[in-house]
Amino acid sequence: MFDNFFIIIGRHIISFLYFLGGLGNLAFKTIYFSFIPPYKKGRIFEQAKKAGLDSLPLVSLIALFIGFIFALQTAYFMQRIGSELYIASLVALSIVRELGPVITALVVAGRVGAAITAEIGSMQVTEQVDALETLAVSPMKYLVVPRFLALSLMLPLLTIYADAVGILGSYIICVFRLGISSSIYLRVTAEALFYKDLFTGLFKTIFFGMIIALVSCYEGFNVKGGAEGVGQATTRSVVFSFIMIIIADSIFTALFYFIFP
Amino acid sequence: MIEILGVEKNFNGNIVLRGVDLKIDRGSTCVIIGRSGCGKSVLLKHIVGILKPDKGKIIINSKDIVHLSEEDLNALRLKIGMVFQGGALFDSMTVGENVGFGLIEHNHTSDKELRETIEESLSLVGLSGIASLMPSDLSGGMKKRVALARALCIKPEIILYDEPTTGVDPISADSINELIKNLHDKLNVTSIVVTHDMKSAYRVGDKLAMLYQGKIIAQGSPNEIQKTEDPIVHQFINGLAHGPITET
Amino acid sequence: MIFGKSKLELKVGIFVFIALAALVIFVLSIGGVKTWTLGYRVNFIFNFVNGVKYGAPVRFAGVDVGGVKDIKFYYDDKEAKTKIRINCWVHKEVNIPKDSVIWINTLGLLGEKYIEIMPGKDYKNYLAAGGELAGEDPLPMNDVLKIAKNIAGNLDTGINRVLNREGSLGKLLYDDKMYNDLDALVTDIRKNPWKLFWKTKEKK
Repeated sequence: MFDNFFIIIGRHIISFLYFLGGLGNLAFKTIYFSFIPPYKKGRIFEQAKKAGLDSLPLVSLIALFIGFIFALQTAYFMQRIGSELYIASLVALSIVRELGPVITALVVAGRVGAAITAEIGSMQVTEQVDALETLAVSPMKYLVVPRFLALSLMLPLLTIYADAVGILGSYIICVFRLGISSSIYLRVTAEALFYKDLFTGLFKTIFFGMIIALVSCYEGFNVKGGAEGVGQATTRSVVFSFIMIIIADSIFTALFYFIFP
Repeated sequence: MIEILGVEKNFNGNIVLRGVDLKIDRGSTCVIIGRSGCGKSVLLKHIVGILKPDKGKIIINSKDIVHLSEEDLNALRLKIGMVFQGGALFDSMTVGENVGFGLIEHNHTSDKELRETIEESLSLVGLSGIASLMPSDLSGGMKKRVALARALCIKPEIILYDEPTTGVDPISADSINELIKNLHDKLNVTSIVVTHDMKSAYRVGDKLAMLYQGKIIAQGSPNEIQKTEDPIVHQFINGLAHGPITET
Repeated sequence: MIFGKSKLELKVGIFVFIALAALVIFVLSIGGVKTWTLGYRVNFIFNFVNGVKYGAPVRFAGVDVGGVKDIKFYYDDKEAKTKIRINCWVHKEVNIPKDSVIWINTLGLLGEKYIEIMPGKDYKNYLAAGGELAGEDPLPMNDVLKIAKNIAGNLDTGINRVLNREGSLGKLLYDDKMYNDLDALVTDIRKNPWKLFWKTKEKK
């Protein structure tokens, strides 16, 4: 029984290593193909619209409600110790440093990453990927590179929106519900934030974008079987994106905390 | 001329091809027959270089394509048109964009010229005037013909057909057979057809080759194949449920 | 996407533009005074800095006007002594008179160290950019404690002498004679108030 247990664990570790290896290989090829012509900017724009503009309503909605909820939850404690004013600083720092980037990344992984896996997966199943190759077009160049570039460029921009809308949500609660004056709220927010907070928050989202693009393309290309395979791959893509984003986020947080305090 | 020499291929230990040898003369039509899942499509994908063999050589126009650089391979691929089983049309694009895809990506022709070439290719397969439709609006037989138009659009020297008549009604199937024959006569291309539809095989082929258990076990003209004494080939071409294939 | 132009690029352009505009607003509003306003550098010379760190605030007349940018040792030939030069960034609107008093202060008992500038009165001579001014050295905590101990010691001996009826204060507190004299005087005056106006001749 224990033998069996270790065999299962070992198999999972090996398959995860295969996954990481495949991902690394894909990342290497993607970066290589990003730099060789032809450059088709139309495709990047198309993906940029799908990843950025089309995700904006959902990201904004979630960020707004996170702002509401976070302000109210913080207010519960801050009112007990009589320092409601610090809600503004706490919310601003949490959203800009952590919640904005991570929530945006998770929403995009769920929304755009899943769509990419489903799209590439069904192209793989219906031999469209092979058809690209027979027409002397590299699927890497045609499918992966535009998504990779679009996601890694659009995610920081989406995060700026999420930060702004999240702070707006908290502002609405604090100013209209808790009676903090608008100008004081804005001043405390501005005083709490430094460039470092804003830019470390945005910097890591570039990598989150790359992770989402690579994981979802990788899972898409590795679809086996028909429609069921596409469904499984889509689930795996979202799950692995989430895991990788959280791992990357911990690494970046530790890095920024210990190395660039 | 296409020469396949001792090609072997396995997928994760599952051996599909175990030494395929086949010669296809320039301008001829070769039909590869065999049961479903015997590796016919895999063999076809080796010829366009999508798959690399574990062992063996594939020589096209006296170049071994197994060891070609990506660049040379792409140049070669532009001389080969492949028609996939389900059409494999890009469903995010219109029919016109699908047909002209190769030209749009590689040759920077003018818009007008492009439209003309697309229309010409579509009319070759008898589907003029549908360039603005989406692939999802088409029937299975039409999809296959559009896929053929896409292969023709790059003016290939070799056309590969993967099960061109599978999944279409008998009348459409016959019109596709006719199309394959006509195109071959008109454009003088080398064709390789993979199928298990014997009617189609007799109709279009100059040469038939049977793939069985990862090897070519018989080849010859349609007449020779029809008169074969090999029990395996005999069972297959006559479509018998009992015989050496099903009993071993 | 290939035939005919779409408004795709315009849409993405608007998206990018608004995001970048929001970023600029963020950056401008959170930056505040620190980096975007102009200022100049001055040097203050100390023998002892009591643990001032990079980034410590500089206060002029009690207002934060800048920060410590650099702390370096150098050898002063005239006094043949190693000294410390603290380079500070100061807001451009602040003019420091040359007779200002500069010392290192502490927020609270154990709080952050900062540089306190008490403005002088000579508003004709300012410290120019890159200029130097000597600061008053803070007392090391040990010295403060030593002085406090001395003061406490002195007080202690004084009080002991008082308690031991030594010295004038001790005698004053512990001698009954004076109290008795005063008491007699008051009683006498109550009895004979005229004595206040009439000077009695003492018998010889």
